[in-house]
Amino acid sequence: MTTPSTKELLQTMQDAAENLSQNDRREFLRKGVSYVAGAAAVGTAGTAAANFSSNLPPNEPIWGRQLGRGVVANPYGVPSRFEEHVHRRTVPWLTAESISSISMSPLADLKGIITPNGLVFERYHAGVPEINPDEHRLMIHGLVDNPLIFTMEDLMRFPSVSEIRFIECPANGGMEWRGPQMEALQFTHGMLSCCEWTGVPLKVLLDEAGVQTEGKWILAEGGDGAHMSRSIPIEKVLDDTLVVYAQNGEMLRPEQGYPLRLINPGWEGNTSIKWLRRIEVGDKPWHHREETSKYTDLLADGRARRFTFVQEANSVITNPCPENPIKKPGFIEIEGLAWTGRGKIKGVDISFDGGINWQPAQLKGLVLDKALTRFSFQTKWTGQPWLLQSRAYDETGYVQPTLSQLRESRGVNSIYHKNSIHTWQVQPTGEVKNVQIT
Amino acid sequence: MFKLPNVFAATLLGAALVAGTAQADGHKYGFGAPASAEEIAGWDIDIRPDGLGLPVGSGNAMDGEAEYEALCAACHGVFGEGEGRWPVLAGGEGTLTDERPIKTVGSYWPYTSTLFDYIRRSMPFPAPMSLTDQQVYNITAYVLYLNEIIEEDFELSNENLATIRLPNEENFFVDDRPDAKNPRCMADCLNPDEMMLAASLSGVTPIGHFVEGADAPAGSHEAQHELEAQKEAERKAEITGEEVQADHGDAAPAALSEAAQAGESVYNGACAVCHGSGLAGAPKVGDSAAWVDRIAQGNDVMIQNALQGFAGSTGVMPPKGGRMDLSDEAVTNAVHFMAETSR
Repeated sequence: MTTPSTKELLQTMQDAAENLSQNDRREFLRKGVSYVAGAAAVGTAGTAAANFSSNLPPNEPIWGRQLGRGVVANPYGVPSRFEEHVHRRTVPWLTAESISSISMSPLADLKGIITPNGLVFERYHAGVPEINPDEHRLMIHGLVDNPLIFTMEDLMRFPSVSEIRFIECPANGGMEWRGPQMEALQFTHGMLSCCEWTGVPLKVLLDEAGVQTEGKWILAEGGDGAHMSRSIPIEKVLDDTLVVYAQNGEMLRPEQGYPLRLINPGWEGNTSIKWLRRIEVGDKPWHHREETSKYTDLLADGRARRFTFVQEANSVITNPCPENPIKKPGFIEIEGLAWTGRGKIKGVDISFDGGINWQPAQLKGLVLDKALTRFSFQTKWTGQPWLLQSRAYDETGYVQPTLSQLRESRGVNSIYHKNSIHTWQVQPTGEVKNVQIT
Repeated sequence: MFKLPNVFAATLLGAALVAGTAQADGHKYGFGAPASAEEIAGWDIDIRPDGLGLPVGSGNAMDGEAEYEALCAACHGVFGEGEGRWPVLAGGEGTLTDERPIKTVGSYWPYTSTLFDYIRRSMPFPAPMSLTDQQVYNITAYVLYLNEIIEEDFELSNENLATIRLPNEENFFVDDRPDAKNPRCMADCLNPDEMMLAASLSGVTPIGHFVEGADAPAGSHEAQHELEAQKEAERKAEITGEEVQADHGDAAPAALSEAAQAGESVYNGACAVCHGSGLAGAPKVGDSAAWVDRIAQGNDVMIQNALQGFAGSTGVMPPKGGRMDLSDEAVTNAVHFMAETSR
């Protein structure tokens, strides 16, 4: 959220208040005033007042009357201090401590489809290891003709590929099977990011080792303290699994697996093993902890799905949302993100009445395989309450289900893969609340 | 004029020949070194349900009890019931269709091998890969015993582990999604009279950053732990009538010795995992009540325990906290830092 000037805010409130009942107006003004106080606290309190008095037209602002810092004052650049509130956040009570835990990306503040490296959601099971790339090795063995060990230098000699792919934790939204309880987009959908990943197709590396005909599965293993391990069928590996060392133009961040990780495009994030150190080829899956005790989907009848790899089509509206309330009646671009693990997003529909009636939205910008895709719907808001929903469908014809449909099929104890249509309640004040419609 | 294109053509031809060689060799680049049997053996730690990968050896629950209590119970509870938010390991049979299923080794896990594999690769949490195969067999046997899968004196071995079946094995099936089908209806899709709207619970998500005055819970685990400790102190104070003790962090920090200053970064990188949260019974830095007796033993004892490891009724610490990469000096400095900031 950018910091609006006081004048702008007062104008906004006055405009909006005209559409409100007397009671609503009192409430909105109270909130508006506290928002101003909050805005001042974001910058330094002293300069906020100074800005108002001297930095607006017709005055020449302070930054136009003095010099700024020179080159390499920040050898590795960081965002403006006015954007300091845009960062990953966690919900501490979800996990016992921070070493084996998760944080969410600030989706409400992100633009386009690429997640900046410092804002990609985090998920660790034994914290972030500090790996010296010179001492990192990738071992490939098992049902192969030539077991091999690669250095990072070896891996970076292979012809590289760069692909834009989303990565999503299958527990994204998993806190809301029973009811809504996350009061912000960052917490309802933030276990989701999208980067340009650079590396080598795993198939190329397996060809070097020579997979034997009985080789039907691989085990991918991390080198961190968790030694996270997942079984992946060979068909996926031959299709599009990547071994990557870079994201968004620079080497992987330590949080994202530096110096090497797997990317299984469109599949649950847990399979994209970070700090990758070993690939074993076998004839059967291993049924390790992360594919039995965890990352299996318990159904109402007590049975459980396993190897639920694909992230099915999903979408969410990012403007408006709890963090981005509607500040002013009039034109609004309803915007959001859609994604599917089965290929490309074909379209997104928008509902303003909680799913009774739908209208098609426009896809905008790049529409890529297994990547976040932006959608947009331009309309006017005149202060009326909305029950805003988005519904994505993909090129396979799969349509994002309603919460009722998912619950009917799976019950409420699945934890993972909750991709149901999400509802934001836009109140007459412009505030946005997380609600569920069944 | 005439020579240059010739040279150029020769270069191209050479490149084509090289590329042709690579093609003929089945796209092989020849990068990477052969992995020796010894190198593979060191890293090949995975176990499969059919027992493939199990090291030769055995163990039993009677021998595992003491090891479990020393190494595992701090988080998983003496009976596998779980402490705080740490995983529950035992019990929960018949709860999978309940409103709140309890998913444990006995009630949910499909294979015994997973238990051995996971303990070996990831546990104990603060010091993964520190257990001997014997310890892994013993602790695996003990957890199976807690779940009433095997008897206390059953000798679990590489010969019989794959034959120990868990009760829930048959209840898993391979992904058959898409399951929920939603036709792409555009108009009058729901009956407004039957629609139910549920509002969010408030106060369970940290939203203080955009809702002024929101009664938001803590935004970090550290703050959450402090909040819970504070609530617990207040609860106890209500029962005992004693006043809640002032937070130790409020006191002005005393000047740190040179060793302690050097130890701060070591502490942050290696020790804070346990000593920041109290994991595995570790005394929390800044908690003077937890440190007073330890400090009274003298620096030499504390340093000796940190370097050599410590297992007692109060907690467990592997040598150097499992960070064998740290020098003795670095660990010693970290001890000074922790002791001096916990007086």
